[in-house]
Amino acid sequence: CRKESKLNPESVNAVSFEFSFSTPDRVKAQVLGMYSGLKAGDFYGGRYIVYNEVRADNYINLTTNAVTAYQVWNFTTSNNAQEVTGLWGAAYSVINRCNLFIDGMAAGGAATVGPALAANYVAEAKLVRAISYYSLLQLYARPYWDGNGSKPGVPLRLKGNSVAGNYDLARNTVGEVYAQIIKDLNEAETALPLNYTTAYDNTIRGHRNTAIAFKTRVYLSMQRYADVITEANKIVSAAAPFTATSGVANALQANVANVFKTPYTTTESIMSSPMNATTDVVGGQTALGSYFFSVREFKLNDAGIIADAGWKATDTRRTLIGTATISGVPSKLMGKFATPSPYIDYVPIIRYAEVLLSLGEAITRSTNTVDARAISLLNAVRQRSDATTTFTAVDFPTSADLATAFLKERNIELLGEGLRSPDLLRLGLDLPAKGTVSSVPSTDRRYIFPISQTELLYNKLMTDN
Amino acid sequence: QQKTITGKITEKGGLPLPGVSVTVPGTRIATQTNEDGVYSITVPNNTTLLAFRFLGYVSKTLTITSGTINVTLEEDTSTLSDVVVTGYGTVKKSDLVGSVVSIRGNQIANRPVQSFDQALGGKAAGVQISIPNGVLNNPPVFRIRGTNSISLSSYPLIIVDGVASFTGDVSGSNAAGNALSSINPQDIETIDILKDAAATAIYGSRAANGVVVITTKRGRTGKATVTYDGWTGIANVQRLPDMMDAYQYTDMKNEGLRNAGTFNAATNAYALTNGPDGNPINTNWYDYAYRQGVSYSSSLSVSGGSESTNYYMSLNYTNQQGIIVKNDYKRLGVLFNIDHKISKTLSVGAKLQYANEDNLAVISSGSLDGQAFSTAGLGRVALVNSPNVSPYSNAGGYNLSGNNLGIMNNKVSQVGFYNPVVQIDLDRSYNYLNRVQSNAFVQYRPIPMVTLRSVYGIDYLYSTNDTFANPVNGDGFAALGSAGMSYSQNKRSVWTTTAQADKTFNNDHTFSLLLGTEQQTTVNTSFGAGRSGLSDLAFNDFTAGYTQFSNTGGFGENYLVSFFGRLNYDYKKKYIVNGTLRQDEYSAFGPDKKAGTFYSFGLGYELAQEDFWKNGKIGKVFSSFKLRGSYGEVGNFAGLGNLAPNSYYSPGLFGGAPTLNFSQAGNSEIGWETSKKLDVGVNFGILKDRITFELAYYKNDIDGLIYNVPQAPSAGLPNSPQTNIGSMYNKGYEFTANAQAITTKNFSWSSSFNFTYNKNVIESLTPTITQFTSTTSGLETANISRVGTSLGMIYVVTTAGVDPATGRRIYVSGSTGRKMLYDHASPVASRWKYEDGSIAPGITSQDQQIYGNSQPKFYGGFNNNFKYKNIDLSLTITYQAGFYIYNGTQASIMDQRFWNNSVDILNRWTTPGQITSVPRVVAGDNMSNGSAVPLDINVYKGDFIKLRDISIGYTVPGSFLTKMKIASARVFVSGQNLLILTKYNGTDPEVSSNGGSNGSQGVERNSVASARVFTAGLNFKF
Repeated sequence: CRKESKLNPESVNAVSFEFSFSTPDRVKAQVLGMYSGLKAGDFYGGRYIVYNEVRADNYINLTTNAVTAYQVWNFTTSNNAQEVTGLWGAAYSVINRCNLFIDGMAAGGAATVGPALAANYVAEAKLVRAISYYSLLQLYARPYWDGNGSKPGVPLRLKGNSVAGNYDLARNTVGEVYAQIIKDLNEAETALPLNYTTAYDNTIRGHRNTAIAFKTRVYLSMQRYADVITEANKIVSAAAPFTATSGVANALQANVANVFKTPYTTTESIMSSPMNATTDVVGGQTALGSYFFSVREFKLNDAGIIADAGWKATDTRRTLIGTATISGVPSKLMGKFATPSPYIDYVPIIRYAEVLLSLGEAITRSTNTVDARAISLLNAVRQRSDATTTFTAVDFPTSADLATAFLKERNIELLGEGLRSPDLLRLGLDLPAKGTVSSVPSTDRRYIFPISQTELLYNKLMTDN
Repeated sequence: QQKTITGKITEKGGLPLPGVSVTVPGTRIATQTNEDGVYSITVPNNTTLLAFRFLGYVSKTLTITSGTINVTLEEDTSTLSDVVVTGYGTVKKSDLVGSVVSIRGNQIANRPVQSFDQALGGKAAGVQISIPNGVLNNPPVFRIRGTNSISLSSYPLIIVDGVASFTGDVSGSNAAGNALSSINPQDIETIDILKDAAATAIYGSRAANGVVVITTKRGRTGKATVTYDGWTGIANVQRLPDMMDAYQYTDMKNEGLRNAGTFNAATNAYALTNGPDGNPINTNWYDYAYRQGVSYSSSLSVSGGSESTNYYMSLNYTNQQGIIVKNDYKRLGVLFNIDHKISKTLSVGAKLQYANEDNLAVISSGSLDGQAFSTAGLGRVALVNSPNVSPYSNAGGYNLSGNNLGIMNNKVSQVGFYNPVVQIDLDRSYNYLNRVQSNAFVQYRPIPMVTLRSVYGIDYLYSTNDTFANPVNGDGFAALGSAGMSYSQNKRSVWTTTAQADKTFNNDHTFSLLLGTEQQTTVNTSFGAGRSGLSDLAFNDFTAGYTQFSNTGGFGENYLVSFFGRLNYDYKKKYIVNGTLRQDEYSAFGPDKKAGTFYSFGLGYELAQEDFWKNGKIGKVFSSFKLRGSYGEVGNFAGLGNLAPNSYYSPGLFGGAPTLNFSQAGNSEIGWETSKKLDVGVNFGILKDRITFELAYYKNDIDGLIYNVPQAPSAGLPNSPQTNIGSMYNKGYEFTANAQAITTKNFSWSSSFNFTYNKNVIESLTPTITQFTSTTSGLETANISRVGTSLGMIYVVTTAGVDPATGRRIYVSGSTGRKMLYDHASPVASRWKYEDGSIAPGITSQDQQIYGNSQPKFYGGFNNNFKYKNIDLSLTITYQAGFYIYNGTQASIMDQRFWNNSVDILNRWTTPGQITSVPRVVAGDNMSNGSAVPLDINVYKGDFIKLRDISIGYTVPGSFLTKMKIASARVFVSGQNLLILTKYNGTDPEVSSNGGSNGSQGVERNSVASARVFTAGLNFKF
């Protein structure tokens, strides 16, 4: 009466490890699984963006809630702060998915789907892995300029892990991690498809231009401006109107607001995390809409970029700022992600406006001139939203002034998209004071996150910041 | 020549006893009493003796002295207590080798508890019961001889009438739902607590945490007895911290702003607001969170039987109100036990128990495991919300500001979390349990020495949850109202077949052999649905119109198949040998680890039966003296994942398209945890066993402890695979003294004292990991477990007072020992300074140090029963000592954000030179008093002595009752938690914000307080 089958149960809802590459559908589902990891609430689903926004000076915390980035905002995160451990874990979870996938494809998965598709898929894995490592560096490592990449980065893991084991691994240098990121992106660029059949797929999955665009961000962070120019020129035409000339026809939209509303799949969105109301939105205390608009964990700092006199009231981008009376005080809210729960607004990972501004800034900083094409790039972004402003060479007595203008334009254009803190860090600028929080100098320990406490505990070779 | 003897047989209370057998010893002459207890028997003239027998009463044999013999039979309280349940059978206490405590049902009956386990505190040596807070039907922390696991459950195996019960909180709502509450305590005949290997090995792989065997009442031959037990009671919260009122709050918070340099009367200040009555609003939030709970309970049972059929039927209803508003518990239960003898050799029986329970709450109490930092948590909100605003606006309606409590005249962004009154009015979080516990058996005795028995039992537990979060304020605000409905079905079936042979040879050698097999299948299926975004705000039901829908589902199954045997042998009741063997095969073990073999052997030596002892002087002192010892190996797998050996990829969605992700790293080597139990004891009695003592030493060596071996997060594994890797031990001493101290006609006093000392030490975790931390609700880490220490040590930063010159808190670096001072008013980069004024790196969690153990080293109880004429008094005192509690709530109520503070803050530093323990208040400061990093200032000794239970009863005299046709009646009043002697300053030293978790005991974080309960009740027997 002893039932052998009941002693050896099988799952009714999960795929056994050894059969995870057994059908083309399973392989493809794993590809999307990597993107879904990127979209985790602790990562690009919301919190990565939130942290990089609130570390800078554009926000005032309203709720003093220690689980919703209050400690990030006022620089009191300790090693075991949920923000510090959560993002670290989420990023490495994605990295391991990518590694397992790359390994599994080599070990038979490629045969399941055929070599052509396999090459595309593996390239997507490398793209997602590169994005993940890059994002880790922005918070957990000193910027590249500090010691020219010689400072401790994060441990580079390039093999999939599937069982308990000894995972002691020391930190690679910042430079080594950046080198791997560039290697992955270069390989992804070669093997990614030029485009997909739908605008939706062109937005939510990596294509060749995605790898190139991301490289502009990576090189800019390394201050390798010539490389920024080289990469950007692959997808930015020589003169206005600036568009990508091959692959997906990435270009600015006539109205920036269209990028942030349904269907969220314009050619300006080089890559975004999709939100599907009925199946998989990022919820509550992780969604951007929750932080900045619905639950109002943070309001815009009246003394931040919104106070900038050069950013005209008629600028379309001001329509993406919400107003509310908070505690009797008229206040401004970051309104790019204004849809209330369920938070269906797609979260941009990279969009075309950034590439143009990166290119322009790189030209300026590498040539130390007030370059005409650079001004043209700046105008492309500004005039799309504010036709009444035209920058000309006379506005910029020195190239430094033009570089500053680019930084400001990025601050305006990319507000709410998680680029402000990395922009300050890559240039070694102090994190400015805001509200009751004083500024954090670029030499301060709090300039970057501490290392996750659990990593320090369970990876014996890990060292703290 | 014959004569006729007549008479009436009554019980002590004077009630006639029908069905008493009256016999002439040595003959077949017999009769029975009629309904009025009257008998008439005709016997030969030379007959001298008559015997009177009635089950449950002490038999009497009397000399015939006249034609009328009236007899009063005394209820026999000893027959049952002489027998101890040992699992799949019983054994006479005198033959017992194992360590077992038997608790009679009446010791826990008539208490204002939801489940019997809440009443077990202090009743038995080695048994630790801690009631974590005042949330109704919250499972207590239940430990037998220490915490015996790290990652799995340390909760004992509970066997109810032969079927392993579901345990733990089975509610899916904010109301707790202890699985054991379906059993009406009044229906319990005995609770046998099995502690050592000799007693528990028969339960094999599930016995490491000890076994509790519940036997419900069954009928006895005789006229039907109807019993009614009822009580009603009131419960009130106790020991709440004293919080500042509106005036103190407003002043203190403004002082904080001034000290921070940000005070501005127009834009950044706290201010009083006049209420509708023209006076400043001064809200005591306790008034909204707590109430006086009124409860009552009624149980009615009928039991009786003929020579062939016995029955016990009961019906119970209880409706209890907790001390938290709208936290209710209701149970309607029935139990039907029947035994029937088909023939001399064949008998059958069945049990049917059904309970319908409502566990009701409106919102989170913030007090169940994982809820400590819930923004809605009522315990927390009642402390933190500002007293200078009202839950209602002056215009009427709720006082709201976005999704928070409205700020009224305050000029700051926030003065409270949610407005609890809105949720109390509009939300619900209901759990409904429906439970069927049933079994049927057939028993066959082909020859007198052999008993064959087969039992099939089921335990079906259905848990339904109905929740609603309103769109106005609280958790449902962002989603514009949300409703949830979920359903979980837990079905267990157990089929047990045993053969038992008992034989005594030559009057000296007694053998008892048990062989058995058992199969247990447990299946859990669940689904749940959520709806949010009300399309019409007038509705709150799950079936109303919504814009958003979600659903979940779950499935789990496991299977246990076992073979077991036990042999007892004794020689002249002097030497007792006991051996047990069990093989368990379990579905969740790895492919090569499916089967485990568990065993025990025990020895007993009753010296008092030896002639030298009996005849010597020592025999005059000790009426009994038994040495006993046992050793064995048992296991634990409670909490092991059903599919733990395997690795999986799980499906998900990305933008609505299917995904597949690595979801479980399995461990094909996973097996049971092994607990090797050694028990050595001596039981002795003096004064004809009027006073008995029991001393025991035990050691549980646990190997192959399943540990969710943490992997470096950068390895990116989705889980920490369960691995048999650690080792730990619990060892200790138990002492029990029972005394029938005074027994006179009018006055009696019986007393029982027990004491346990337990030492828990982790011996190893993994070759590379020597410590792990545990968090409270995933946010605060105040516990660490390290090789060489006990589980869950309190782990905090060391401080060194408040600098009298500046009012800054002084901290001690964990690595360098250097002192650092914190000033929240300084710029971020210069908040931390060394004593010499130079910039310091600051205190972080890295500076935390072990402070002390959170598991009590000593615990026990002292039970007393007094009886004077018709008045009885019983009291239970419990105590625990030698442990520390981290009072995280205190950190919260000293926090310098908008949160209200305890009146202790009035002692804050204000003037240079002032000596105080409370630092200067600076608005926004969450560091100085322990919110950001746990501090030693919030750690207290937990030692306590509690008057857990006191009850005074009056038994109504029989003469009056006889007229009323009532057999007996008793009225009583009782009180629970009337007195707590402790230096702990939090709500209750038994507090546990982390429920029964192994590694994070001894933490209080925002829990609601505990209740003090008064009850009055009645017991009737007809």
